[in-house]
Amino acid sequence: MSYQALLAKAVNGNIPFSVLLELTYRCNLDCYYCYNDRSNGGRSLSVAQYVSLFADLRELATMNLTFSGGEPLAHPHFFTLGARARALGFVIRVKSNGHRLNGRLARRLLNEVDPFVVEISLHGASAATHERQTQVAGSFGRLLTNLEQMQALGLRVQLNSTLTAWNEAEMDAMDALAERMALPLRWNMQITPRDNGDRAPLDIAASPQAISRLRGLLEQRRGTETTIDLDPPPPWGKYCGAGASGLTVDPWGNVYPCVQWRVPAGNLHRENVRDIWERSPVLQAVRVRTEALATTVKARTAGAAKEWFCPALVEAGSGEGKLLLGSI
Amino acid sequence: MSAISPPFRLCADIRYRQIADEGIVLRQQAGEVLVLNEVGARVVALLDEGLAPPGIVARLAAEFDADPGRLAIDVAGFVAELRAAGVIEEEACS
Repeated sequence: MSYQALLAKAVNGNIPFSVLLELTYRCNLDCYYCYNDRSNGGRSLSVAQYVSLFADLRELATMNLTFSGGEPLAHPHFFTLGARARALGFVIRVKSNGHRLNGRLARRLLNEVDPFVVEISLHGASAATHERQTQVAGSFGRLLTNLEQMQALGLRVQLNSTLTAWNEAEMDAMDALAERMALPLRWNMQITPRDNGDRAPLDIAASPQAISRLRGLLEQRRGTETTIDLDPPPPWGKYCGAGASGLTVDPWGNVYPCVQWRVPAGNLHRENVRDIWERSPVLQAVRVRTEALATTVKARTAGAAKEWFCPALVEAGSGEGKLLLGSI
Repeated sequence: MSAISPPFRLCADIRYRQIADEGIVLRQQAGEVLVLNEVGARVVALLDEGLAPPGIVARLAAEFDADPGRLAIDVAGFVAELRAAGVIEEEACS
Protein backbone atom coordinates (compact mmCIF):
# COMPACT_ATOMS: atom_id res chain seq x y z
CA MET A 1 0.00 0.00 0.00
CA SER A 2 1.29 3.48 -0.83
CA TYR A 3 1.45 6.47 1.48
CA GLN A 4 -1.31 8.15 -0.54
CA ALA A 5 -3.52 5.11 -0.14
CA LEU A 6 -2.86 5.17 3.58
CA LEU A 7 -3.86 8.84 3.73
CA ALA A 8 -7.03 8.00 1.84
CA LYS A 9 -7.72 5.36 4.45
CA ALA A 10 -7.36 7.99 7.18
CA VAL A 11 -9.67 10.43 5.41
CA ASN A 12 -12.29 7.87 4.49
CA GLY A 13 -12.11 6.15 7.86
CA ASN A 14 -12.16 9.35 9.94
CA ILE A 15 -8.77 8.82 11.56
CA PRO A 16 -7.29 12.09 12.89
CA PHE A 17 -3.91 11.58 11.27
CA SER A 18 -2.82 15.23 11.55
CA VAL A 19 -3.64 17.66 14.32
CA LEU A 20 -2.70 21.33 14.50
CA LEU A 21 -2.38 22.96 17.89
CA GLU A 22 -2.49 26.74 18.12
CA LEU A 23 -0.67 26.92 21.44
CA THR A 24 -0.91 30.67 21.90
CA TYR A 25 -1.78 33.78 19.93
CA ARG A 26 1.05 35.67 21.58
CA CYS A 27 3.69 36.67 19.08
CA ASN A 28 6.86 38.71 19.00
CA LEU A 29 6.09 39.94 15.48
CA ASP A 30 3.01 41.79 14.30
CA CYS A 31 2.33 40.52 10.81
CA TYR A 32 -0.19 42.61 8.94
CA TYR A 33 -2.16 39.72 7.48
CA CYS A 34 -2.08 37.43 10.50
CA TYR A 35 -5.35 35.49 10.54
CA ASN A 36 -5.51 34.95 14.30
CA ASP A 37 -8.39 36.58 16.13
CA ARG A 38 -6.38 38.10 18.94
CA SER A 39 -9.48 39.66 20.46
CA ASN A 40 -10.71 36.14 21.16
CA GLY A 41 -10.00 34.78 24.61
CA GLY A 42 -10.78 32.17 27.18
CA ARG A 43 -9.09 29.87 29.65
CA SER A 44 -5.88 28.45 28.25
CA LEU A 45 -5.38 24.70 28.28
CA SER A 46 -3.10 23.62 31.10
CA VAL A 47 -0.03 21.44 30.63
CA ALA A 48 -1.95 18.56 32.22
CA GLN A 49 -4.76 19.01 29.70
CA TYR A 50 -2.30 18.98 26.82
CA VAL A 51 -0.65 15.85 28.18
CA SER A 52 -4.04 14.19 28.39
CA LEU A 53 -4.86 15.39 24.86
CA PHE A 54 -1.60 13.92 23.53
CA ALA A 55 -2.36 10.55 25.10
CA ASP A 56 -5.85 10.57 23.59
CA LEU A 57 -4.52 11.56 20.17
CA ARG A 58 -1.97 8.79 20.25
CA GLU A 59 -4.74 6.30 20.94
CA LEU A 60 -6.70 7.77 18.05
CA ALA A 61 -3.65 7.09 15.80
CA THR A 62 -2.67 10.72 15.26
CA MET A 63 0.78 10.79 13.74
CA ASN A 64 1.43 14.44 12.77
CA LEU A 65 1.29 17.06 15.47
CA THR A 66 1.87 20.66 14.42
CA PHE A 67 2.66 23.33 16.97
CA SER A 68 1.45 26.65 15.66
CA GLY A 69 0.31 29.98 17.00
CA GLY A 70 0.78 32.90 17.18
CA GLU A 71 4.33 32.05 17.80
CA PRO A 72 4.33 28.60 19.45
CA LEU A 73 7.67 29.25 21.14
CA ALA A 74 5.98 32.10 23.03
CA HIS A 75 3.95 29.51 24.96
CA PRO A 76 5.47 29.37 28.45
CA HIS A 77 5.55 25.56 28.43
CA PHE A 78 6.47 24.99 24.80
CA PHE A 79 9.46 22.77 25.57
CA THR A 80 7.59 20.72 28.15
CA LEU A 81 4.83 20.08 25.63
CA GLY A 82 7.26 19.43 22.80
CA ALA A 83 9.24 16.91 24.82
CA ARG A 84 6.07 15.12 25.86
CA ALA A 85 4.87 14.93 22.29
CA ARG A 86 8.25 13.59 21.23
CA ALA A 87 8.12 10.91 23.92
CA LEU A 88 4.77 9.78 22.57
CA GLY A 89 6.22 9.35 19.10
CA PHE A 90 4.44 12.10 17.20
CA VAL A 91 5.91 13.53 14.03
CA ILE A 92 6.29 17.10 15.18
CA ARG A 93 6.11 20.17 12.99
CA VAL A 94 6.72 23.63 14.38
CA LYS A 95 5.38 26.67 12.55
CA SER A 96 7.44 29.61 13.76
CA ASN A 97 8.44 33.08 12.68
CA GLY A 98 12.02 32.09 13.59
CA HIS A 99 12.60 35.35 15.45
CA ARG A 100 13.63 33.66 18.71
CA LEU A 101 15.23 30.60 17.20
CA ASN A 102 18.79 31.66 17.86
CA GLY A 103 21.59 29.26 18.74
CA ARG A 104 20.52 28.38 22.27
CA LEU A 105 16.80 27.99 21.63
CA ALA A 106 17.41 26.24 18.33
CA ARG A 107 19.61 23.74 20.14
CA ARG A 108 16.94 23.18 22.77
CA LEU A 109 14.39 22.66 20.02
CA LEU A 110 16.56 20.03 18.39
CA ASN A 111 17.58 18.24 21.57
CA GLU A 112 14.32 18.36 23.50
CA VAL A 113 11.61 18.36 20.83
CA ASP A 114 13.38 16.89 17.78
CA PRO A 115 10.86 18.16 15.24
CA PHE A 116 10.59 16.60 11.82
CA VAL A 117 10.49 20.07 10.31
CA VAL A 118 10.48 23.69 11.41
CA GLU A 119 8.39 25.82 9.07
CA ILE A 120 9.55 29.43 9.03
CA SER A 121 7.69 32.37 7.53
CA LEU A 122 9.57 34.44 4.97
CA HIS A 123 7.79 37.63 3.88
CA GLY A 124 10.25 39.14 1.44
CA ALA A 125 13.72 39.03 0.00
CA SER A 126 14.72 42.36 1.50
CA ALA A 127 14.57 43.87 4.94
CA ALA A 128 12.23 46.60 3.70
CA THR A 129 9.64 44.13 2.42
CA HIS A 130 9.95 41.50 5.13
CA GLU A 131 9.78 44.07 7.91
CA ARG A 132 6.92 46.00 6.32
CA GLN A 133 4.99 42.80 6.83
CA THR A 134 6.29 41.81 10.27
CA GLN A 135 6.25 45.41 11.54
CA VAL A 136 9.39 44.69 13.57
CA ALA A 137 12.64 46.41 12.64
CA GLY A 138 15.62 44.10 12.32
CA SER A 139 13.49 40.97 11.96
CA PHE A 140 14.83 40.16 8.47
CA GLY A 141 18.52 40.18 9.35
CA ARG A 142 17.82 38.27 12.52
CA LEU A 143 15.85 35.67 10.61
CA LEU A 144 18.66 35.07 8.13
CA THR A 145 21.14 34.63 10.98
CA ASN A 146 18.82 32.26 12.81
CA LEU A 147 18.16 30.22 9.67
CA GLU A 148 21.87 29.67 9.24
CA GLN A 149 22.20 28.57 12.85
CA MET A 150 19.26 26.18 12.58
CA GLN A 151 20.73 24.61 9.47
CA ALA A 152 24.16 24.33 11.06
CA LEU A 153 22.60 22.45 13.97
CA GLY A 154 20.89 20.02 11.64
CA LEU A 155 17.30 21.14 12.05
CA ARG A 156 15.20 20.45 8.97
CA VAL A 157 13.85 23.84 7.92
CA GLN A 158 11.25 24.80 5.36
CA LEU A 159 10.34 28.35 4.36
CA ASN A 160 6.68 29.30 3.97
CA SER A 161 5.76 32.42 2.04
CA THR A 162 2.42 33.96 1.30
CA LEU A 163 2.25 35.97 -1.90
CA THR A 164 1.09 39.52 -1.18
CA ALA A 165 0.91 42.84 -2.97
CA TRP A 166 3.88 43.87 -0.88
CA ASN A 167 6.22 41.02 -1.84
CA GLU A 168 5.02 40.03 -5.30
CA ALA A 169 7.79 42.08 -6.94
CA GLU A 170 10.31 40.01 -4.96
CA MET A 171 8.91 36.62 -5.92
CA ASP A 172 11.99 35.66 -7.90
CA ALA A 173 14.36 37.11 -5.33
CA MET A 174 12.65 35.13 -2.56
CA ASP A 175 13.00 31.97 -4.61
CA ALA A 176 16.66 32.80 -5.20
CA LEU A 177 17.21 33.47 -1.50
CA ALA A 178 15.72 30.09 -0.60
CA GLU A 179 17.83 28.38 -3.22
CA ARG A 180 20.96 30.12 -2.00
CA MET A 181 20.24 28.86 1.51
CA ALA A 182 19.36 25.40 0.18
CA LEU A 183 15.96 25.59 1.82
CA PRO A 184 12.65 24.47 0.33
CA LEU A 185 10.19 27.33 -0.14
CA ARG A 186 6.50 26.60 -0.08
CA TRP A 187 4.24 29.29 -1.52
CA ASN A 188 0.74 30.09 -0.47
CA MET A 189 -1.13 32.23 -2.95
CA GLN A 190 -4.07 33.16 -0.83
CA ILE A 191 -4.39 35.63 2.00
CA THR A 192 -7.34 34.80 4.19
CA PRO A 193 -9.65 36.95 6.32
CA ARG A 194 -8.96 36.90 10.04
CA ASP A 195 -10.69 34.24 12.05
CA ASN A 196 -13.15 36.83 13.33
CA GLY A 197 -14.18 37.64 9.76
CA ASP A 198 -12.12 40.84 9.52
CA ARG A 199 -11.22 41.20 5.86
CA ALA A 200 -8.48 43.81 6.38
CA PRO A 201 -5.68 41.35 5.43
CA LEU A 202 -7.22 41.10 1.98
CA ASP A 203 -6.13 44.71 1.39
CA ILE A 204 -2.69 43.35 0.54
CA ALA A 205 -3.81 40.41 -1.55
CA ALA A 206 -1.49 39.78 -4.48
CA SER A 207 -2.48 41.02 -7.93
CA PRO A 208 -4.09 38.55 -10.34
CA GLN A 209 -1.04 38.96 -12.58
CA ALA A 210 1.34 37.97 -9.79
CA ILE A 211 -0.83 35.01 -8.82
CA SER A 212 -0.91 33.90 -12.42
CA ARG A 213 2.85 34.25 -12.69
CA LEU A 214 3.45 32.25 -9.51
CA ARG A 215 1.04 29.63 -10.76
CA GLY A 216 3.14 29.35 -13.90
CA LEU A 217 6.33 29.01 -11.94
CA LEU A 218 4.88 26.33 -9.70
CA GLU A 219 3.40 24.54 -12.68
CA GLN A 220 6.87 24.34 -14.21
CA ARG A 221 8.12 22.72 -11.05
CA ARG A 222 5.32 20.21 -10.75
CA GLY A 223 6.91 16.87 -10.18
CA THR A 224 9.94 18.23 -8.40
CA GLU A 225 8.04 20.27 -5.83
CA THR A 226 4.39 20.20 -4.96
CA THR A 227 2.08 22.79 -3.62
CA ILE A 228 -1.38 22.07 -2.39
CA ASP A 229 -2.73 25.07 -4.28
CA LEU A 230 -2.02 23.40 -7.58
CA ASP A 231 -2.76 19.84 -6.70
CA PRO A 232 -6.04 18.43 -7.97
CA PRO A 233 -8.35 16.98 -5.35
CA PRO A 234 -7.03 13.59 -4.25
CA PRO A 235 -9.07 10.52 -5.01
CA TRP A 236 -10.69 10.38 -1.62
CA GLY A 237 -14.28 9.76 -0.69
CA LYS A 238 -14.22 13.24 0.82
CA TYR A 239 -13.12 16.45 -0.87
CA CYS A 240 -10.65 17.27 1.91
CA GLY A 241 -9.55 16.01 5.29
CA ALA A 242 -11.35 18.66 7.35
CA GLY A 243 -12.76 16.92 10.40
CA ALA A 244 -11.92 13.57 8.82
CA SER A 245 -8.16 13.15 8.92
CA GLY A 246 -7.36 16.22 10.92
CA LEU A 247 -8.49 18.88 13.33
CA THR A 248 -7.31 22.12 14.90
CA VAL A 249 -7.27 23.16 18.54
CA ASP A 250 -7.03 26.82 19.58
CA PRO A 251 -5.31 28.02 22.79
CA TRP A 252 -8.57 27.85 24.74
CA GLY A 253 -9.38 24.29 23.87
CA ASN A 254 -11.85 24.95 21.09
CA VAL A 255 -11.68 22.15 18.55
CA TYR A 256 -12.27 22.94 14.87
CA PRO A 257 -12.55 20.72 11.79
CA CYS A 258 -9.45 22.42 10.37
CA VAL A 259 -7.46 25.63 10.63
CA GLN A 260 -9.77 27.38 8.15
CA TRP A 261 -13.10 25.92 9.19
CA ARG A 262 -13.64 27.94 12.36
CA VAL A 263 -16.85 26.34 13.53
CA PRO A 264 -16.21 24.92 17.02
CA ALA A 265 -16.91 21.22 17.24
CA GLY A 266 -16.36 21.11 21.00
CA ASN A 267 -14.14 22.35 23.79
CA LEU A 268 -11.50 20.38 25.66
CA HIS A 269 -12.40 22.04 28.96
CA ARG A 270 -15.75 20.26 28.77
CA GLU A 271 -15.04 17.00 26.97
CA ASN A 272 -12.15 14.91 25.72
CA VAL A 273 -11.03 14.83 22.14
CA ARG A 274 -12.23 11.28 21.56
CA ASP A 275 -15.78 12.24 22.49
CA ILE A 276 -15.59 15.29 20.25
CA TRP A 277 -14.10 13.30 17.40
CA GLU A 278 -16.68 10.54 17.59
CA ARG A 279 -19.80 12.46 18.54
CA SER A 280 -19.61 16.10 17.50
CA PRO A 281 -22.53 17.00 15.22
CA VAL A 282 -20.33 19.69 13.66
CA LEU A 283 -17.68 17.18 12.61
CA GLN A 284 -20.30 14.78 11.38
CA ALA A 285 -21.87 17.57 9.32
CA VAL A 286 -18.50 18.59 7.86
CA ARG A 287 -17.81 14.99 6.85
CA VAL A 288 -21.20 14.79 5.13
CA ARG A 289 -20.50 18.09 3.36
CA THR A 290 -17.05 17.09 2.14
CA GLU A 291 -18.36 13.74 0.93
CA ALA A 292 -21.10 15.51 -1.00
CA LEU A 293 -18.60 18.02 -2.37
CA ALA A 294 -16.31 15.25 -3.59
CA THR A 295 -19.22 13.71 -5.44
CA THR A 296 -20.34 17.06 -6.88
CA VAL A 297 -16.88 18.08 -8.07
CA LYS A 298 -16.23 14.66 -9.53
CA ALA A 299 -19.50 14.80 -11.48
CA ARG A 300 -19.05 18.38 -12.70
CA THR A 301 -15.44 17.94 -13.79
CA ALA A 302 -15.84 14.40 -15.06
CA GLY A 303 -13.21 13.43 -12.48
CA ALA A 304 -10.60 15.66 -14.11
CA ALA A 305 -10.49 18.65 -11.78
CA LYS A 306 -7.26 20.55 -12.35
CA GLU A 307 -6.97 22.37 -9.07
CA TRP A 308 -7.96 22.10 -5.47
CA PHE A 309 -9.82 24.73 -3.51
CA CYS A 310 -10.51 25.11 0.18
CA PRO A 311 -14.23 24.71 0.88
CA ALA A 312 -14.02 26.59 4.16
CA LEU A 313 -12.35 29.59 2.55
CA VAL A 314 -14.84 29.67 -0.27
CA GLU A 315 -17.66 29.59 2.21
CA ALA A 316 -16.10 32.28 4.38
CA GLY A 317 -15.21 34.43 1.41
CA SER A 318 -17.63 34.70 -1.44
CA GLY A 319 -20.56 32.83 -0.05
CA GLU A 320 -20.55 30.71 -3.20
CA GLY A 321 -19.41 27.79 -1.12
CA LYS A 322 -22.76 27.77 0.55
CA LEU A 323 -24.28 26.71 -2.75
CA LEU A 324 -22.10 23.62 -2.64
CA LEU A 325 -21.79 23.11 1.06
CA GLY A 326 -25.01 24.35 2.51
CA SER A 327 -24.76 25.89 5.94
CA ILE A 328 -23.64 24.19 9.11
CA MET B 1 16.35 -18.53 17.86
CA SER B 2 16.51 -16.89 21.24
CA ALA B 3 20.33 -16.88 21.22
CA ILE B 4 20.27 -14.50 18.29
CA SER B 5 17.05 -12.70 19.13
CA PRO B 6 17.61 -9.93 21.60
CA PRO B 7 14.85 -7.46 22.29
CA PHE B 8 14.77 -4.58 19.87
CA ARG B 9 13.54 -1.04 20.06
CA LEU B 10 12.61 1.56 17.50
CA CYS B 11 15.58 3.75 16.57
CA ALA B 12 15.45 7.26 17.97
CA ASP B 13 14.52 8.93 14.71
CA ILE B 14 11.68 6.53 13.93
CA ARG B 15 8.07 7.62 14.23
CA TYR B 16 5.45 4.93 13.92
CA ARG B 17 1.69 4.70 13.92
CA GLN B 18 -0.84 2.08 13.00
CA ILE B 19 -3.56 3.43 10.72
CA ALA B 20 -6.47 1.00 10.61
CA ASP B 21 -4.66 -2.30 9.91
CA GLU B 22 -1.63 -0.80 8.17
CA GLY B 23 1.50 0.67 9.69
CA ILE B 24 3.35 3.81 8.76
CA VAL B 25 6.97 4.37 9.64
CA LEU B 26 8.74 7.70 9.18
CA ARG B 27 12.51 7.76 9.25
CA GLN B 28 12.87 11.36 10.35
CA GLN B 29 16.48 11.92 9.44
CA ALA B 30 16.12 10.47 5.98
CA GLY B 31 12.64 11.88 5.51
CA GLU B 32 11.50 8.51 4.22
CA VAL B 33 8.16 6.83 4.76
CA LEU B 34 7.58 3.09 4.84
CA VAL B 35 4.09 1.63 4.72
CA LEU B 36 3.64 -1.79 6.27
CA ASN B 37 0.94 -4.34 5.70
CA GLU B 38 -1.13 -5.77 8.53
CA VAL B 39 1.37 -8.38 9.66
CA GLY B 40 4.35 -6.07 9.28
CA ALA B 41 2.54 -3.42 11.28
CA ARG B 42 1.79 -5.94 14.00
CA VAL B 43 5.43 -7.03 14.18
CA VAL B 44 6.61 -3.44 14.61
CA ALA B 45 3.94 -2.78 17.23
CA LEU B 46 5.04 -5.85 19.18
CA LEU B 47 8.71 -4.87 18.89
CA ASP B 48 7.71 -1.45 20.20
CA GLU B 49 6.04 -3.18 23.14
CA GLY B 50 9.41 -4.72 23.95
CA LEU B 51 8.81 -8.26 22.74
CA ALA B 52 11.75 -10.21 21.35
CA PRO B 53 11.22 -12.18 18.12
CA PRO B 54 10.31 -15.48 19.86
CA GLY B 55 7.55 -13.70 21.77
CA ILE B 56 6.37 -12.05 18.58
CA VAL B 57 6.18 -15.40 16.81
CA ALA B 58 4.11 -16.83 19.64
CA ARG B 59 1.72 -13.88 19.57
CA LEU B 60 1.34 -13.91 15.80
CA ALA B 61 0.81 -17.65 15.76
CA ALA B 62 -2.09 -17.18 18.16
CA GLU B 63 -3.51 -14.10 16.46
CA PHE B 64 -3.27 -15.29 12.85
CA ASP B 65 -3.59 -19.02 13.43
CA ALA B 66 -0.37 -19.54 11.48
CA ASP B 67 2.36 -22.16 11.56
CA PRO B 68 4.98 -21.10 14.16
CA GLY B 69 7.84 -22.62 12.16
CA ARG B 70 6.97 -20.65 9.05
CA LEU B 71 6.32 -17.55 11.13
CA ALA B 72 9.71 -17.79 12.84
CA ILE B 73 11.44 -17.72 9.45
CA ASP B 74 9.33 -14.82 8.20
CA VAL B 75 9.70 -12.78 11.39
CA ALA B 76 13.46 -13.30 11.45
CA GLY B 77 13.68 -12.12 7.85
CA PHE B 78 11.50 -9.13 8.48
CA VAL B 79 13.39 -8.14 11.63
CA ALA B 80 16.62 -8.31 9.66
CA GLU B 81 15.11 -6.02 7.02
CA LEU B 82 13.98 -3.56 9.68
CA ARG B 83 17.45 -3.54 11.19
CA ALA B 84 19.08 -3.02 7.82
CA ALA B 85 16.69 -0.15 7.11
CA GLY B 86 17.56 1.53 10.39
CA VAL B 87 14.07 1.16 11.80
CA ILE B 88 15.02 -0.93 14.83
CA GLU B 89 18.14 -1.55 16.86
CA GLU B 90 19.12 -3.91 19.63
CA GLU B 91 18.16 -2.83 23.11
CA ALA B 92 21.26 -1.70 24.96
CA CYS B 93 22.29 -4.16 27.67
CA SER B 94 21.81 -2.78 31.12
